[in-house]
Amino acid sequence: MSVQPSVPEVQNDSIEDRLYTVKYDDPGDSHLGVKVPSVCTDSCETTDCVPICPADVWHRADTDSVPTIAYENCLECSSCRFACPYDNVSWEYPTTGSGVTYKHG
Amino acid sequence: MTDQTTGMGQTLLEERAGDAALESPNYDNEFDAIVVGAGLAGSAAALTLAKRGLEPLLVERGTYPGAKNVFGGVLYTPTIRELTDLDSAPLERYIAEKRFSMLSHDDETAISIKPGEWNREPHNDSFTVLRGDFDEWFAEQAVEAGATLVTETTVTGLIRENGGIVGIETDRPDGEIRAPYVVLAEGGNSLVSEGANLKATESRENIAVGVKEVLEFPENDEAIQDRFRLVGDAGVSYHYFGEGAVGEAYGGGFIYTNSDTVSVGVAYSLEDAATKHQTPEETLNLFKSHPAVAPLLRGARTVEYTAKTIPEGGAETMPDLVHDGAVLVGDTAGLVLNNGVHLEGTNMAVESGYHAADAIATAAERGLTSADALSSYADALENSFVVQNLERYGWLTDRVEEDRDLLFEQLPSAVADAGTEYFRMDRAPKEAHARAAKQRIFETLGGWTGAMKLAMRYRKLVR
Ligand SMILES: Cc1cc2nc3c(=O)[nH]c(=O)nc-3n(C[C@H](O)[C@H](O)[C@H](O)COP(=O)(O)OP(=O)(O)OC[C@H]3O[C@@H](n4cnc5c(N)ncnc54)[C@H](O)[C@@H]3O)c2cc1C
Ligand code: SF4
Ligand code: SF4
Repeated sequence: MSVQPSVPEVQNDSIEDRLYTVKYDDPGDSHLGVKVPSVCTDSCETTDCVPICPADVWHRADTDSVPTIAYENCLECSSCRFACPYDNVSWEYPTTGSGVTYKHG
Repeated sequence: MTDQTTGMGQTLLEERAGDAALESPNYDNEFDAIVVGAGLAGSAAALTLAKRGLEPLLVERGTYPGAKNVFGGVLYTPTIRELTDLDSAPLERYIAEKRFSMLSHDDETAISIKPGEWNREPHNDSFTVLRGDFDEWFAEQAVEAGATLVTETTVTGLIRENGGIVGIETDRPDGEIRAPYVVLAEGGNSLVSEGANLKATESRENIAVGVKEVLEFPENDEAIQDRFRLVGDAGVSYHYFGEGAVGEAYGGGFIYTNSDTVSVGVAYSLEDAATKHQTPEETLNLFKSHPAVAPLLRGARTVEYTAKTIPEGGAETMPDLVHDGAVLVGDTAGLVLNNGVHLEGTNMAVESGYHAADAIATAAERGLTSADALSSYADALENSFVVQNLERYGWLTDRVEEDRDLLFEQLPSAVADAGTEYFRMDRAPKEAHARAAKQRIFETLGGWTGAMKLAMRYRKLVR
């Protein structure tokens, strides 16, 4: 008997591989944005839009910059819209059925 | 299976395309009511309206109903059963076992409930489903009853006249469609209702973020039935709390068995995700890798990764349900009960869609569209299990939130340690083990006084 029962490896894919499992139709334009860039650059020190996103859409170089948005990763979960403490995320649905299409959900 | 059902959605559309070109639907003033969103609440409303002899238009932004929808996994069917025949529904498994499990960083303490009754029809009206399949089927029941479905059409706003709602704007060319009633069944991300000032944006303290994977076992056909001890169509819902499930956050993890896949995910407070910098993806990874969880998922492969928010404001933040010409149903009205023990939104969505449609049909008989004429919807919901349950458990969520460190971190470890002490195999008498076990729990609770206080705080649970 081993002293420490071993925990089996489970497969945790990278975010890229995970996003590959979802069908995506690019609307061409970003359905996401920041409403007022200066709110990000001048007021926001916490960058809450980054850690809450399940799809690694939001990135921000430092607390003086406006986040970049990889909108084509977006799973349309809406977390960023609620999470931004300055209500500074502009959020629309991708047009006419574009964006993610789930098979199972 | 999914390809086939996708195909069916298109056929429905093509049939309708004969009536009016899909590209520029000329549906203006053609319908008795418009339902925004073909989720559970929307299809329940459309189906009920059609059964009452009205002609509803059901508008869905996804390529088919369900294409944009995500939930954990258990559909509660007491109301759907009354609306339509469930025999042809794409149900995965019935719930034969519920298991609640406390995870510290490497311990598990669990209780399991397996009433024999759940193995018999109607299986306690609890079934795992996949929304891509189920929502499409449910919308089809509405269409068969007489509703018209358009997909790939996003509602972008409401048309107001003299203060009342008289129709919708869509992202289709000439996309304005007027009808006497609008049912807002757009889910928790209620862009249309908020845009029309029918509800306020929920604060993030009242929102949970959920991520989920559907997993398959490519090299082991027996994995699901063996690991979850299933016979036939029986299935399980496993719920996990504590540090090992969602780290420092308030929330939980879940595993639900489908026919050939399992749904695994976590859902926790968005506030915690932001302030504790705990990303949904990492939280899911840690949960899946927990020593008590990993053996259930060994060898599994990800079929789909999904995410969605859950509105958790409950009765306190429920918006006005009834407006001149419009009603709010399902997640749009915040009708979700998520308190740790229960995670229920599907039954409330269907129940609210049904009552809203019933009120509309009654008002339509009298030719009335005012909020006053529709108020029987709000009354019916108040008197149904929906609002009663939300009110009954509102306090619990608040209290658990206040006691979270104790309940989700200290107590799970203490209970696991106490268990370890109580059953310790050595040469000391059992009495010493029992004393040590009790001691461990008491320390955590703050002695008799602490334990009494805690019991008082939660006494309403068993009332
Ligand atoms: C992670 C997670 C786990 C859950 N687990 C469970 C569970 O196990 N059991 C349970 O009972 N409940 C669960 N719930 C809650 C449950 O899923 C919801 O309460 C339920 O789906 C609400 O139904 P609905 O019809 O109100 O909204 P939705 O199911 O969200 O449907 C809304 C529909 O409207 C469409 N739509 C939205 N906006 C527009 C627009 N502008 N134009 C056109 N169409 C639009 C959407 O595409 C969608 O089809 C869970 C939720 C989540 C997020
Ligand atoms: S959290 Fe809001 S204000 Fe801060 S950087 Fe992100 S979008 Fe800008
Ligand atoms: S909606 Fe969800 S997935 Fe999309 S960017 Fe916002 S948080 Fe990320």
